[in-house]
Amino acid sequence: MDKLTKIVVIVGGGNAGWLTAGRLAAKHNSNSEQGLKVILVESANVPAIGVGEGTWPTMRSTLKALNISETDFIRECDASFKQGAKFAKWHDGSEDDYYYHPLVLPQGFGKTDLAGHWLAQQALAKNQSSEQSPLPANSQAHSHSFSNQVCFQEAICEQGLAPKTIRHAEFADVANYAYHLDSAKFTRFLQKHCQENLGVTHIIDDVIGVNSIGDTNSEGARAGDIASVTTKAHGDITGDLFVDCTGFSSLLLGEHYQVPFKKCDDVLFIDTALAVQVPYENDDDAIASHTISTGQKAGWIWDIGLQSRRGVGYVYSSKHSTEAEAKQILAEYVGVKNGAQLDSLKVRKIPINSGYRETAWQNNCVAIGLSAGFLEPLEASALVMIELGAQMISEQLPQSRAVMDIVAKRFNETALYRWQKIVDFLKLHYILSEREEPFWADNRDPSSIPESLQELMTLWQYRAPADYDFTSNNEVFPAASYQYVLYGMGFNSDYSHNPFALDDTDMASSQFEQNKKLTAKALSLLPSNRELLSKIKEFGLSRI
Amino acid sequence: MAQLVAIDNKNHLQLAIDQTKVEQHGAKLHLVPAVVPEFSNMAVQYPLVITKNGDTGQFVFAAMLGFEAGENLYWRDEQWQGLYVPLQIRRQPFFVAKSTASDNYDVCYDTDSPAVATEHGQRLFNDQGQETEFFAQAKGCLGELLRGEEANSQLLSYLQEMDLLQSMKMEVMFANQQTVNLSGLYTVDQDKLAALSAEQVTQLHQAGLLAAVYTLVISLGQMHQLIDLKNKQLGHS
Repeated sequence: MDKLTKIVVIVGGGNAGWLTAGRLAAKHNSNSEQGLKVILVESANVPAIGVGEGTWPTMRSTLKALNISETDFIRECDASFKQGAKFAKWHDGSEDDYYYHPLVLPQGFGKTDLAGHWLAQQALAKNQSSEQSPLPANSQAHSHSFSNQVCFQEAICEQGLAPKTIRHAEFADVANYAYHLDSAKFTRFLQKHCQENLGVTHIIDDVIGVNSIGDTNSEGARAGDIASVTTKAHGDITGDLFVDCTGFSSLLLGEHYQVPFKKCDDVLFIDTALAVQVPYENDDDAIASHTISTGQKAGWIWDIGLQSRRGVGYVYSSKHSTEAEAKQILAEYVGVKNGAQLDSLKVRKIPINSGYRETAWQNNCVAIGLSAGFLEPLEASALVMIELGAQMISEQLPQSRAVMDIVAKRFNETALYRWQKIVDFLKLHYILSEREEPFWADNRDPSSIPESLQELMTLWQYRAPADYDFTSNNEVFPAASYQYVLYGMGFNSDYSHNPFALDDTDMASSQFEQNKKLTAKALSLLPSNRELLSKIKEFGLSRI
Repeated sequence: MAQLVAIDNKNHLQLAIDQTKVEQHGAKLHLVPAVVPEFSNMAVQYPLVITKNGDTGQFVFAAMLGFEAGENLYWRDEQWQGLYVPLQIRRQPFFVAKSTASDNYDVCYDTDSPAVATEHGQRLFNDQGQETEFFAQAKGCLGELLRGEEANSQLLSYLQEMDLLQSMKMEVMFANQQTVNLSGLYTVDQDKLAALSAEQVTQLHQAGLLAAVYTLVISLGQMHQLIDLKNKQLGHS
């Protein structure tokens, strides 16, 4: 006899727990008698870490899948719009050193290799200017930058504009966007929605034991599976599938199953974060509609604009900086004089242990969130990994124990693939820097660069990243993202030995032209980010 | 931008309105706001659509008079050619605005209006400073609009609550093969309207709004008349 999946027990609240609960409950009708029973057990005593306040555009589909109104979400989670990231001082650290990784694909992506054409133009301009040497090399840098020439979003961000207008429906846009949000508010918002609208059962109690099934039995239970978790006040809670959302403690997957943790600190050196909340000086200060990530001596500072405050933090490598030094750098960034004054902003120190569990789904237990892994916050991969994992579990929920191992195998392959790809992509941000501090120099050491990334870099010497470099259905970052980082960081792919690759010059010029038109149109149409957020608070976005 | 000035019988004793010029306010409007009480009059000639206020994103009812900004196909030979002139036009150049002095509303007028006259036209006050019949009627018109706007917001909340709105995407081709894409317009979703529960229908009926919902649907048939007018203007008939 086979054991059907009727009850899913999620251990741990936080964004991971509630997003998983919500996805499962919405998809499998937990509101009805026949639906899947979703129980979330959460300790009252464990504070949530609140990873990352930046999301990906995937959050829009996640909210839609949970049947959440975007207006409610924006109003209740202090959320604002995020249109990508601005990387300042990553290349050479000079004052006007920056590039964008926007969320809109390069114009005509898939129709023509606009990156190749842009590179050819750059090469031509360089030759001409070296002959006539009229201008210093970087005086025209930003208007001719890759991200500006192929995408209209950088101009929107630089002007502090929103990605849509008040007339757009919820989730509709002019330019692709994600969100910045208050993590703690988001958790409470999800919890309320999951309980009130989606039929998730919430138990507040401490899990004090994990009970295994001793022998495989005729009811379809497998030896070694989790039968139940024991709680302090509610006794044993039985389930068919257990989701470990217990954060870094990884109670089920790490502690109970002893699944090993693969550290990535040989590739990604960041191991500490100092985070502060910075109030706006004036109520009408601009709200940046992108994450600002500024390179520092031993890491980088994130700067995220919410409606009511900014979230700012310095992530650094403790091998390359003392805490006092890091505090001083953060203090200077937020505009206070020294580390002591910074303390008035209540600095939170958060250890970062970059790595992941190579097996995320063991027996009838799967980990989502920090319990499965965490990489440094660059490119905001934390929430998106939760979303992707929760989506996969809800869509591919094994109907019975007999099929669970097959689904688990796929889940593990996918998760592992994604972790590795994210590690590669994050590392890419560091290896092209020309900054000379030891942190940056160490990052360029070939022994710290994964072979998979080295291979790609070798290929890209002669051409731009393309879709055929990323062939899985489960890619996290598209080829376009690699292009934005590579050419933002001044990398050159040399097309001169491949003269026929760029034959479609008419198509390319029409796409460059189109980008200019879209830029002008967007700039004339869009309100400021703050103005739109205020209007949404006052009037709301309509559903259609 | 309209300059609004509150009207009183001291400063505006001589103010007069040339009624023949009032309709000029609509000469270049392709959408004119509509209120529920005038729906049935509107629907005889104009398609009634729902659009969004540019400042607030809130839904508003409007009669469609043309296919692009600045085009009113019912405006020809310096005259409104339609059978029914919308309240929003007839009320010109008068507005109500929240009083700066009290909690009440002031009746204001648009000093830039082409209908403002000093020589001939209808006066608002007689020489003794008493309101004329004309001004009383104009005020009545404003009252009608205000009541209509209340009905509008009631109908709009029902339409949204009952999930009856859908966006209306249309590509229209004129006789000269020129096409125009209509966007930013919304209307009643007829399938969802047909699927309303008896309870919901009763709710609309008791609120006196059921007829308005069907009028919105039926008025869309006037789109053909509007296309026809456009074709005539283009010289094809």
